[in-house]
Amino acid sequence: MIFSLETWHITLFSLAVGLTSTLVILPFGIALAWIFARKEWPFKSVIETLVLLPLVMPPVSTGLILLKIFGRRNPVGQWLYERGVEIVFNWKGVLMAMAVMSFPLLVRSVRTSFTEVNPRFEQIAATLGASPLRIFFVITIPLAYKGIIAGALLAFSRALGEFGATILLAGNIPGKTQTLSLAIYSFVQLGKDSDAYTLLGITVALAFLFVWCSEWLLRSAKKA
Amino acid sequence: MLLRCRIPLAHFDLDVDVAFDARVASIFGPSGSGKTTLLDAIAGLRDITAGEIEIDGSTLFSSARGIDRPPRERGIGYVPQEGALFPHLSVRKNILFGAGRSADISRLKGISVEHVLSVLEIGSLLDRAVKKLSGGEVQRVALARAILSQPRLLLLDEPLASLDIGLKEKILPYLARVRDEFRIPMIYVTHNLTEVLTLADWVLMIRQGRLVTQGVPKEALRSMHAIMQLPEDQFENVFAVTFVESDPEAGRTKVRLQAGQELFIPYLPRPGSDTIQIRISADDILVAIKRPEGISAGNVLPGTVRRIDAIDGQAIVTVAAGDEFYARLTASAVKRLGLVEKAPVFLIMKTRSFRSL
Repeated sequence: MIFSLETWHITLFSLAVGLTSTLVILPFGIALAWIFARKEWPFKSVIETLVLLPLVMPPVSTGLILLKIFGRRNPVGQWLYERGVEIVFNWKGVLMAMAVMSFPLLVRSVRTSFTEVNPRFEQIAATLGASPLRIFFVITIPLAYKGIIAGALLAFSRALGEFGATILLAGNIPGKTQTLSLAIYSFVQLGKDSDAYTLLGITVALAFLFVWCSEWLLRSAKKA
Repeated sequence: MLLRCRIPLAHFDLDVDVAFDARVASIFGPSGSGKTTLLDAIAGLRDITAGEIEIDGSTLFSSARGIDRPPRERGIGYVPQEGALFPHLSVRKNILFGAGRSADISRLKGISVEHVLSVLEIGSLLDRAVKKLSGGEVQRVALARAILSQPRLLLLDEPLASLDIGLKEKILPYLARVRDEFRIPMIYVTHNLTEVLTLADWVLMIRQGRLVTQGVPKEALRSMHAIMQLPEDQFENVFAVTFVESDPEAGRTKVRLQAGQELFIPYLPRPGSDTIQIRISADDILVAIKRPEGISAGNVLPGTVRRIDAIDGQAIVTVAAGDEFYARLTASAVKRLGLVEKAPVFLIMKTRSFRSL
């Protein structure tokens, strides 16, 4: 198996965009997960379902929705285009597709880890004069951090595996928007089997590493 | 202190409206009577739909006036039953967590970290991980954390309930020291009578969310309401006595009651302070109508029956013998001896039936 320059490029591009996507969604995911775990309001389950929707919807459908929103001929896309931001058919489209598709997975696993933090600790911290912000950063986050990292790892793996939404929003442009998953598909189509297998190996290894780490973290968080 | 609140609960309304002036007010009642709920409400940790909570004239909550001060502004230190130390922080960080809060300094000046550490004897634990602490240490650290937040009121929710009996006896004196050293009023929730009698100078008995009786512990607890709520082994006499002398050879220590009578208790080395607390179960006091002779018991005190409360085949006989003693007898014993009010009697107490704190 030879690691050609092309496979290196594809792998690094996927990792870089996947990592950026995970880092971008992390603060929003943590905030939303906390709200879901600690707050109650009418029709909360409707909002939760909407957020989780990309998890179960066909990724291609999600991609189509994104394309309709960010395409240049639609208001949002046009507004962005006039300000020099174009999302469709470049790396930003890849980023957007990855972010949207992995966001629910992040929210779901971080929400679980917040739920497992005993609210008594937060309450006692409040009686000791701590502000909500201090409680969040000094009590809640440190007690839930293993679940948060595990969630981020899962989101990262999901981002790397993203295919359907990416191909609609960003296309499959070699050297520009081609990720690991898209490249495997192309190589198989073009009969470049050995390249496809190389990338296959890389994806299996990465996926194994991330899932293993995230499971280990979740188990050790339960034990603590 | 003025404490007034109405809190609707699932099965009954918690309704307390009391005024008392006490260093330690104990809330005493069976489990499920709404004690923890009351503390949570005072601390602001529970949503209340209607009612009012007022402490020392400052309103913490009032549905009518739309006041609901958040927990962090209430200035109330809370030691929950399980301690709730932050598991990811060291003992030092736990203790100092609330120490930065500005507070009513005029009343609390003199509370320093060193002082709290030495009173609770936890200086050596500072760098320990919370998970490595024993049950008694957890409670002392939680207490230190609450005190150092310089609260205007300290809430203690059955701080000894999760400890075994041996450990309880070790922690109780620390609570007494906290009461004496720091001028922070305390509300102490318990269903243990010994703790009430040892620590509290006012007791509120609640049952089903309602105040049954309140008063100075010894008097309030004499009522039948109170006695019938007590578990079998918990009806105890508690006295503050003065140390007189100790004799290790004889295995006993002589102490003096406030009224002057002397008692023998099991040997203990001379304590740091001359005043100690001793206790004896109401079931361990024998009543005789003639002075007994030739018995092993080290204490025979003459006294007068003050009152007899009988219910369900049991009788609590209150005897004035300098201090007041309670002896729990069967109804048949009262009848056999012909005990009536004002009858002269002798109380017989084995030296080894006394316990000291």
